[in-house]
Amino acid sequence: MSTRDDTTDVRDVPTERDDQPLLKISNLHTYFRTDSEDVRAVDGVSLTVDPGETVAIVGESGSGKTVASEAITRLFKSPPGYIPEGSIEINGREITDLSDEELRRVRGGEVSHVFQNPQGALNPVYTIGWQIREALQLHADVSKSEARERAVELLTQVGIPEASSRLDDYPHEFSGGMKQRVLIAIALACEPDLLIADEPTTALDVTIQAQILELLAELQEQRDMGMLFITHDLGVVAEIADRVAVMYAGKIMEKGSVEDVFETPAHPYTRALLDCLPGRGGIGGIPGELPDPRSPPPGCRFADRCRHAIDACRTGDQPGMHRVGDAPDHTTSCVHFEPGRDSSTVLDAGSEPAGSPSPPDDLERGGRR
Amino acid sequence: MKWYVIRRVLWAAFASFIILTITFVLMDQVPNQQLMQAEFQAAVNDVDVETAVQAEKERLGLDRPFHERYLDFMTNVFQGDWGWSYEYDQPVVDVVRETVPYSLLYGVPAIVLSTVIGTAIGLYSAVNQYTKKDYAATFAAFFGISIPNFWFGIVLLVVFGSWLGWVPIGWNADIPLAADGSWTLLETAGSDHPAFFRQDFEGERYVGILSPANLKQLILPTFVLMTGAIASVMRYARAEALEYVDADFVKTAKSKGVSNRAIVTKHIFRPASIPLMTILVGRILGLVLFGSYLIEVVFGIPGIGLASFQAIIRQDTDLVAITILLPTFVAIVGNLIEDIMYAVLDPRIDYGDR
Amino acid sequence: MGEDTDTRTKADGGTAPRDVTFEQVDWDEIDADGVARSRKRVAWLAVVSLWTIGVAYDLYSRFVAETGQAAFPVLGSVSPVDWLWSFTLLVLLYYGVVPLYENPRMTRYYWKEFKKNKAAVVSALYLIVVFAIGVIGPRVLPEPEPTPGLENQPPVWGSIEAYSAGTSCAGGTTTVDGVTMCQGSWQHPFGTTSSGEDILLSSIYGMEVSMQVGLIATLMSISVAAAVGLTAAYYGGLVDEVLMRYVDIQMTFPTFFLFLLLAYTIGSSLFVLILIFGLFGWGSSARIMRSEALQRREEPYMKAAKNAGASSLWTIRRHLLPNISNSLITAATLTIPSIILAEAAIAFLGLGDPTVPSWGRLISDGRDQLRTAWWISTIPGGFLFFTILAFNFLGDALRDALDPRHGGSGE
Repeated sequence: MSTRDDTTDVRDVPTERDDQPLLKISNLHTYFRTDSEDVRAVDGVSLTVDPGETVAIVGESGSGKTVASEAITRLFKSPPGYIPEGSIEINGREITDLSDEELRRVRGGEVSHVFQNPQGALNPVYTIGWQIREALQLHADVSKSEARERAVELLTQVGIPEASSRLDDYPHEFSGGMKQRVLIAIALACEPDLLIADEPTTALDVTIQAQILELLAELQEQRDMGMLFITHDLGVVAEIADRVAVMYAGKIMEKGSVEDVFETPAHPYTRALLDCLPGRGGIGGIPGELPDPRSPPPGCRFADRCRHAIDACRTGDQPGMHRVGDAPDHTTSCVHFEPGRDSSTVLDAGSEPAGSPSPPDDLERGGRR
Repeated sequence: MKWYVIRRVLWAAFASFIILTITFVLMDQVPNQQLMQAEFQAAVNDVDVETAVQAEKERLGLDRPFHERYLDFMTNVFQGDWGWSYEYDQPVVDVVRETVPYSLLYGVPAIVLSTVIGTAIGLYSAVNQYTKKDYAATFAAFFGISIPNFWFGIVLLVVFGSWLGWVPIGWNADIPLAADGSWTLLETAGSDHPAFFRQDFEGERYVGILSPANLKQLILPTFVLMTGAIASVMRYARAEALEYVDADFVKTAKSKGVSNRAIVTKHIFRPASIPLMTILVGRILGLVLFGSYLIEVVFGIPGIGLASFQAIIRQDTDLVAITILLPTFVAIVGNLIEDIMYAVLDPRIDYGDR
Repeated sequence: MGEDTDTRTKADGGTAPRDVTFEQVDWDEIDADGVARSRKRVAWLAVVSLWTIGVAYDLYSRFVAETGQAAFPVLGSVSPVDWLWSFTLLVLLYYGVVPLYENPRMTRYYWKEFKKNKAAVVSALYLIVVFAIGVIGPRVLPEPEPTPGLENQPPVWGSIEAYSAGTSCAGGTTTVDGVTMCQGSWQHPFGTTSSGEDILLSSIYGMEVSMQVGLIATLMSISVAAAVGLTAAYYGGLVDEVLMRYVDIQMTFPTFFLFLLLAYTIGSSLFVLILIFGLFGWGSSARIMRSEALQRREEPYMKAAKNAGASSLWTIRRHLLPNISNSLITAATLTIPSIILAEAAIAFLGLGDPTVPSWGRLISDGRDQLRTAWWISTIPGGFLFFTILAFNFLGDALRDALDPRHGGSGE
């Protein structure tokens, strides 16, 4: 297979929408300098999020999904991190070339973050009231008493009982789930257009997880806010997201609506991930490990772990995004979906090397065995 | 909280008690100067040495049993009756009262400046970790920690005192005082002021703590004491701040849109300052107490360190005991303050244990 | 294998232990290269026994027979400091050099990691040179002695006005602007002091003193610190409480002031100085050891050792100690310079043993001559400064390389 230009291929696919996207990431790269070669954490990612829409990025740890989400407002540590190329537009405005000062107005104002670990994400030496007020006063000219009122309001909205009496409490007086609620309140303080939630439920108990997901979905609906949801948990994706992007080794392997991706998983990596879900018979995960991010192999990043890999997978660049079936924006980066190739080699293959074939609409039926 | 403070205070009292006891036991072994003098007098006057010494012992209460003398010693220490200095020919407590201000004169500015400067450099270094500036600061800190301050003081004295002549070589103890010998901030005095002994000049010159002449002679001792202290503070501040530079809550603050400056001062410095204070009070106090001993000897500053040094050389036992006990008490009180501050400042501290 | 499984079951079951218990099984001998190892051990035990007998005989003739210092064949009389010094060198050899020689693969790995840090490599080389000269020099070179007539000689590259120097000039004289200048000579490369002592020779003797004080006191201090820290961490509870409260008290008395007090009351000598810094300066190291050991105590291998029926001493020595040895080495390297500095300061103040040729004493000697003969204070001061600096660099590099908490190699 010849090397094909990623961007031209993206254009092949009809992705145009009626309105302007809230977030438009095009060909984003994020590298980290080291003593030897740069670590390519994010290596050409394109993605859009529309207002009121939830887009999930799914991938195993080390796939670059967190770095991609932090690159949007340049939160990663810099140096050593930097963005060698790519564009990020928010409400049509390019933000990769903003100054630090301008970027600070975007952070918290237009784009907010909720992080994975609520235990460490609140400053232990300030009251939560102080920390919410700080967020408010950075973006709006509000008096102390107004800020306090607003903080109580926010805490009530995120479901903290007796909010006014808890403003002067320190983070260590809250449970993990409560802390995450406080962090969501902080993130929502300035009415952001886009909320980036980076595994917001991973560190929490299962029962709390469901509550937080529900809260996020509810708040999003109320505010018509766009949400970029980072997770490794496909179950969560099915529950919360409208569209999904599957990331592997700094690249997007497949993206499309949740229905399309779950019903017709195209990329062998997506299929393997889905097979790992409980009830799908997959045990032991995907054999092999992530390629070295300093010197990724030529061709498809997943080729070494892929049982459908052919010679064309190991030459040139990562394959372009090809359409899967007739779905409007369901695309995958797999040579088997290249026009002129037979995609059924992947689509009709069995789920596990050792197991028997499983139909693609498996998830809907809730497991076979 | 209340119980925590009470427990710390009791502990400090207990530690002081132990140290006083050790000092008493050790000092009890030293031959008593007054007895030796009595013995000498008796020999000179050709009276019976035995009876003379016995009489002196009785006069001094040395014939009493050990535990009585021990109780006496303890009560005296608490009542401020610290004995008699034969060298100064005045009560030890007066010697301390006269010498301590000289030590504070350069010690206080050195502590304040080195804490502020050291913390600032340490924070800066931590925020710019692995950059050239960080390496430069760390490298400089190694020099500051490693340079023996008594030797550094001598070298600076030679360069700036005798070669360049920018600072005086001898230390003038009368400059910070008024003509009547009391401490003054700033005033003018004529050539009859003791500081200008054997100097003839018309009109008046400034004397007092803030007078140019006094500040000039304080520069080098303060600077020498600071070099080691700044380097220490810097290293601790950097290490503590590094614990928080990559903390999740710093990322939260960044994502809220907090400026870099506010991130450093509010989100990194504040949590780092609490453990930092614990380290600093103890370490810096120790460094300064030890350093001042040598600095006063090198620069000839008539402070408590020099008094202690001369007392050791001249076998002035009571003064030796007190001048060694004082810095130890300062250290104990410093530790106590630091523990209490720690409890007040850190909302996370658990008063239950310790 | 069947043998010791048996023992374990019995011990666990609480029945009377048989003759062979777990701790009596010498695992060293069971190891594949057990023979070579045990031969090394026998040699070590023999040397240590010889040393102990020597000390015992010396103590006997001093305090029981009261015939003064014992005279040994070849060695003659051995001073207390020399006893400690020889033991320290033996420990360094057995626990430092021998393992490095026996595991060339590990040695190469350490060296590869270590040489990345240029400052530390230079420091290590400097210290090895100072150490070697300090150990060998005083054995082969004459003692520095005051030489009337040869006072204040300049170093080989310098000169001094003849009226400031002694009556003769080793390097001859020249006349500059009508002033007779005394030239330096190779006879006294670094010049002489105001009493005519050769500065190079004195500095070499000073190297030995600094190394002795630094290494002996540190070995003592680190051994006590490890013993106390590990015991406190391992047993916890009351033992921990008592030991750590003692450390608190000891640490409130700054070692320097404790030395002043003891030197004043019982007299000062190099031996006393080493003892005081070795036996009372271990508080903060013990705290580090304890907190490190507390973390290790919870690790599965500790539980495994306990479940296997290992005794407390065995567990501490064979499982806890090796796992905190990195912090131990780092703490030791950073303790050395502070003790060397304290010794120099005490000697500078003239509160140490006046017969000991310490760098501090030389600096103090040159104080009054600074304007005319600046080298007397400056050269030994430079040795002192660079030695302390080198130990600090080395300690920092070791901490980066060995201490996982400082994440040196990981990042």
